[in-house]
Amino acid sequence: MEAQCRPGAGAAKNPFCFNQCIKLAKSTGKKARNLSELMSLIRIVPETSIYHHTYEYYFKGRALEYTNDFAHWAGEFLEARVLGDNLSVIDPFAHKSIKSLRNELLNAIEAFLLNFPNPGNVLPGHEFYFMDTVTFIFPAGLSASSLEEFLSAIGQADASSIYYHFYEARSRVSCADDFSLWISSTPAGAELAEKISSIDPFMHSTEDIRQLLAGYVEEELGKEAAAAR
Amino acid sequence: MMIDKYKGISPTADLDLLRILGARFSGRRLLNVNSTRSGGGVAELLGRIVPFLTDLGIDVRWETIEADNGFFGITKKIHNALQGGRERFTHAMWDHYEEENGKNADALDLNADVVFIHDPQPAPLIKAKKSGKWIWRCHIDMSSPSRTVARRILKYVKKYDASVFSVAQFAPPLARPEFVVLPSIDPLSEKNRGLPVSDISAIAGKFDIPLDRPVLVQVSRFDRFKDQIGVIKAYRLVKKYNDCCLVLAGSPASDDPEGEKVLNEVMEFAGQDKDIKILLLPPGSGTEINAIQRLATIVLQKSLKEGFGLTVSEAMWKGKPVIGSAVGGITSQIVHGVNGFLVYSIEGAAFRARQLLNNTRLISEMGRSAREHVRKNFLITRQIRDYLAIWAALENRGASEIQLAM
Repeated sequence: MEAQCRPGAGAAKNPFCFNQCIKLAKSTGKKARNLSELMSLIRIVPETSIYHHTYEYYFKGRALEYTNDFAHWAGEFLEARVLGDNLSVIDPFAHKSIKSLRNELLNAIEAFLLNFPNPGNVLPGHEFYFMDTVTFIFPAGLSASSLEEFLSAIGQADASSIYYHFYEARSRVSCADDFSLWISSTPAGAELAEKISSIDPFMHSTEDIRQLLAGYVEEELGKEAAAAR
Repeated sequence: MMIDKYKGISPTADLDLLRILGARFSGRRLLNVNSTRSGGGVAELLGRIVPFLTDLGIDVRWETIEADNGFFGITKKIHNALQGGRERFTHAMWDHYEEENGKNADALDLNADVVFIHDPQPAPLIKAKKSGKWIWRCHIDMSSPSRTVARRILKYVKKYDASVFSVAQFAPPLARPEFVVLPSIDPLSEKNRGLPVSDISAIAGKFDIPLDRPVLVQVSRFDRFKDQIGVIKAYRLVKKYNDCCLVLAGSPASDDPEGEKVLNEVMEFAGQDKDIKILLLPPGSGTEINAIQRLATIVLQKSLKEGFGLTVSEAMWKGKPVIGSAVGGITSQIVHGVNGFLVYSIEGAAFRARQLLNNTRLISEMGRSAREHVRKNFLITRQIRDYLAIWAALENRGASEIQLAM
């Protein structure tokens, strides 16, 4: 009770305004049956297609065994599990450009082909289809000026909102997520922000992220309440 | 408003974007054209989408093309050929196809801001385009079509501003934008709304379906691509180890002259087995289909070809694990081993059915996961949202990111 009575407790300089997004899928009309075709197409498809198959993988909302579509296809349909693993450790957020990410994908496939037999063609119908998306970004109608409000909003936000601020933000804001950036501006500050930014983004679904965020913020609020007592 | 009824069911982002785009396109004209008002997934879907869009304030019309039986015989062959079947065509048949479309182009008011033409039957109407954005919406599996027939149809499709396919596998390389919009089900429709147990029991009684034994169900129109005979073969393999009965239920479609023939073949193949119930339900039997899916222990969709297979999502929404063929849109709906099983053969379907019949916990877990998967990805609000998003995308030509305000 005392903590709530302190004016401005937990308040940030600017409120956090939640956005959400949807992805409208487009086909590029290009497909690969084997690794040679995959490499040829990785070289030429639009940057937005590479972006879709890597950065946007977590928009699907469930934690899968792999961390991008190329790895998933290699592991599940080519049955080249080693390549699936090797492609999964590629971190798209560590790349400053799609060109650089393309090269790392190609290098990983080339390295695999040097050391393992070429797995050949996939079964008909299981080809890799290069896709693209149009992203619509719009307000979620939720905002937070304090950690209490943030906790409430996190519970209500659509899964696409969590994706937009936790994953997609990294390709907009120098590899950081929006949540930790904003929280670093609240009185709770650096420690909580550090905790959030240290979450491994590749090992969680968006629902996991929601739970983790809520847990960390609740813990922080509990500490504040205890300190106020 | 209709949209408010989906609050708490559909994802919030879908509803918010629908409101934003509904306001943006309020008063503007949207036209749908297809070949039938009853029977089949397209007519059923349009029957739900049109009032929803109207309620959002969009000036929506739904027209169907009128033609003789000869035309629908030809378009059925086109449909089969685009799905990989072998069909023979004469010049006279193609001429008749064009002529009937020409008559419809003269008779219909095709003026609108955006025009969705559904499937190959009315595809040549594009020749009558005067204004607006024209979009060809393909609902069928064009992953391995007859090349000659595909070339003929794509000649029209190339003139559209954009095309829409149900999954990426069906989209041929085209110069114009090709969107991928997964179809959907309406959770509030007669076919999908919650039903009291008493209604389900009454419908089971009406069709003499036993409720004291496991029930395998396939709901689909009687069409060779739905492989009802394959389902009976799978059921016979299951029956050797697990007592069960089989329900094959479907409704006739007015644009499908082959349905009766296939139904007779299926009945003959089923023979005198009293545990196989073959039900030809009249159009408008949504509640009966709903109850049959709900009383099912396991649902099968053993199609040989499939545009999407809305019956899969319908069953998943009712918390049923579905054993589906790994074809077409079924692979987009079932996450193998998580919310159902994808199979490649009659034997595979039988094996997975036995696996489920002997593990009731697996049935429950997969069923729960199936319902949530449909909620996030396959409800009608997501599909309507996508159609409006395509309209917005075409008006923002080439933009890969569109920012919208509330």
